[in-house]
Amino acid sequence: MTKIELKGVSYLYGGKTPFEKKALNNINACIEEGSITGIIGHTGSGKSTLVQLLNGLLRPTEGQILLDGRDIWEKPKKMRALRFKVGLVFQYPEYQLFEETVKQDIAFGPKNMGLSSDEAERRVMDAAKFCGLGQELMGKSPFELSGGQKRRVAIAGVMAMSPEVLILDEPAAGLDPQGRSDIFGGICEYRRKTGATVIIVSHSMEDIARYCDRVLVMSKGQVWAEGSCDEIFSRADELEAIGLDIPQIARLVRLLKEKGVDLGDKLYTVGDVYRALLPYFTGGDGGAS
Amino acid sequence: MKKFIEIKNLNFSYEGDEGERVPVLHDINLDINKGEFVTILGRNGSGKSTLAKVINMILTPDSGELRIDGKNIAAELTDEELMAVRRRVGMVFQNPDNQLVATIVEEDIAFGPENLGIPSAEIRQRVDDALDTVGMKAFARHSPHQLSGGQKQRIAIAGIIAMLPECIIFDESTAMLDPKGRQEVMDTIEKLNREKGITIIAITHNMEEAVRGDRIVVIDGGRIVKQGTPKDVFAKPYELWELGLAVPQVTELFDMLRCLGADLPESVITEEEGAEKLARLLETK
Amino acid sequence: MLRDITLGQYFPGNSVFHRTDPRVKIVLTMLYIVAVFMADSLLSYLIMTAGTILLIAVSRIPLKTVTSGFKTILFIIIFTAVLNIFWTKGENLLFSFGIINVYAEGLIHAGKMVLRLACLLMGTSVLISYTTSPIALTDGLERLLSPLKVIKLPVHEFAMMMTIALRFIPTLIEETDKIMNAQKARGADFTEGNLLQRAKALIPILIPLFVSAFMRAGELATAMECRCYHGGEGRTRMTVLKTKPLDWILLSVFIAYGVGIILL
Repeated sequence: MTKIELKGVSYLYGGKTPFEKKALNNINACIEEGSITGIIGHTGSGKSTLVQLLNGLLRPTEGQILLDGRDIWEKPKKMRALRFKVGLVFQYPEYQLFEETVKQDIAFGPKNMGLSSDEAERRVMDAAKFCGLGQELMGKSPFELSGGQKRRVAIAGVMAMSPEVLILDEPAAGLDPQGRSDIFGGICEYRRKTGATVIIVSHSMEDIARYCDRVLVMSKGQVWAEGSCDEIFSRADELEAIGLDIPQIARLVRLLKEKGVDLGDKLYTVGDVYRALLPYFTGGDGGAS
Repeated sequence: MKKFIEIKNLNFSYEGDEGERVPVLHDINLDINKGEFVTILGRNGSGKSTLAKVINMILTPDSGELRIDGKNIAAELTDEELMAVRRRVGMVFQNPDNQLVATIVEEDIAFGPENLGIPSAEIRQRVDDALDTVGMKAFARHSPHQLSGGQKQRIAIAGIIAMLPECIIFDESTAMLDPKGRQEVMDTIEKLNREKGITIIAITHNMEEAVRGDRIVVIDGGRIVKQGTPKDVFAKPYELWELGLAVPQVTELFDMLRCLGADLPESVITEEEGAEKLARLLETK
Repeated sequence: MLRDITLGQYFPGNSVFHRTDPRVKIVLTMLYIVAVFMADSLLSYLIMTAGTILLIAVSRIPLKTVTSGFKTILFIIIFTAVLNIFWTKGENLLFSFGIINVYAEGLIHAGKMVLRLACLLMGTSVLISYTTSPIALTDGLERLLSPLKVIKLPVHEFAMMMTIALRFIPTLIEETDKIMNAQKARGADFTEGNLLQRAKALIPILIPLFVSAFMRAGELATAMECRCYHGGEGRTRMTVLKTKPLDWILLSVFIAYGVGIILL
């Protein structure tokens, strides 16, 4: 079932001034309910504008955005209600923390929703659990925490609103490998428990290849391609041509092909390539792994 | 090889909220040669940035020796001596926005030399050279606010090289950049090392960047836990995983193949090398 | 959106005034202000107006830009004009309506007032705001005031503060924008409720903004230290301001202008 549909969406920055700039141009796309969609594109390709449109922070200059088949701008006064349904985590969200304790900060969203304190409390605890924040942290000031912990508190603050669609802009930027997998672990956990639709904006093809099932590629304010990871990453050369990085392992596969060793298509994670190589090293038919 | 930085039994702690000492660096011993490209690898909060600030004397160590070009700088220094250290060992930080001072690119690059009291004509020359080195000549009169992250970071680098340093420390200078910006900055760093012979200390937690240096030093919990060439350090991926770090994808794949009994005596860290080896191995199959 | 606010009113160009030494421009502006205030006789008003028109013509700033600055102070101008018309007493009563008497002197007075304010606003903005970049202005001020260092006035520090403020205003505006959006995404509402509620709604913006501003300040201070910053002492500059013949010519013209207005 389609959760979000974009119909001919365009967005103009600085309309009616000399600095007018078309950030998005006639976007048409569908996002399936319960999927994890990765949005990739280099800086300035329109990704950030797109996620702000989905959350109703920006209003399309042209076109429509449908959530469950209804135009989100049908009743502009109800925009707040939409934001509780479509949660957006900005880049470096730790800079939005402001409350005295971690618990209060996570509760900011639920409180704005007007939930009873019992319900809010329950949601805060659930969100904290998804993000791996222990009880001992809840009474601390968010400013005392490490960078990775702060990031998780900020993400929990959006999860606590139990959005049906969770959008994250570069959720793991600047974190070390362990920190990255903690964040993505939390996101996957949230989706597993709630069945939410997840949209992740990232520069890291490795992360997209590992966690997402659909990919939307943006370039110059337009949707350049949309499809499964298989479909998208098999077009490595074209992706590089529009200024994107492909996973190192995919570059290895391509180099091998140039040397006359063809391992096949659709190999873009370490596991894929390992399985493709198994027959050569075990002498068998490659079924054993 | 001449040693440029020598660190012996160095300890550092900072003062906690209740006046207690919180140890950060324990018994660090590290030598860095002139012209070397050293990567310091570690998790967030491992103490790697603190070490960088100690080398630059932004933070003063509790005990131990710190020599730059043979001179012990952990001792009491006069203001002039301190300035001399900072001129010779420059530093580029993580957030490009928080290190640019002026509203015009070339004015910003001139900031360091101006502080050093260099004559005007020479500053002009140095600024032009620095802009040239980082490939930002066309942006001399721009405002930093109009530039991309990678470009801002290159301006920050230009601001340091205009002081003619012998060593530059990069404190996670690529962490906030997109892949393109990252590439621009890494290429600039390599160029400074290869062409100008500037000693590089790059702090990062990005594995693909770490393989570009001559040597990797791994820090965990304020201690040096591992060091060697990138090949040596990445030889046993699980040791890095245990430290919350990772290895490049190619290294991981080759480690898995080695477990299958493939004849791969040493680790592989770049895809070019990997493709070469794998093609040869498969030929014999 | 917040980031659309343009900083200052600098209008890039290459006119005589664009090329003038910022120090000289500051002096010229002061001369000009004095001259405008000294104008008294009809002839001096004529010279004043002619001078201002010439100024705008030479600067090559579009007239629309120059007059657009008017809108913001239009109210003040009208208000003072009305005050002058109604409250000035003279001999030639034009008409009276109840307790309100309008004299010819009042009208003349108001006319002079408006003319003077208009000249003042347009002249100074052409001389300084439109033709001098903020950084050049700060630089000019620092150098012009540098003799005051002798009496221990922190001229350099003041200029440095101005420079850093100019550098960080766009950054902080962008940051405010970002934090506002992030809190909105968590359901914060800045438009509803009474005054107290709205003030309270600002807390989630102000606290993160302050935290980040302090963090930036700390990082910037460290970065400046690393670049050997140690105050103004022993500091040199890349650009040396040198007065050119043009600057001296302009200065003489302005002095003549001022003297003319005072004498006539």
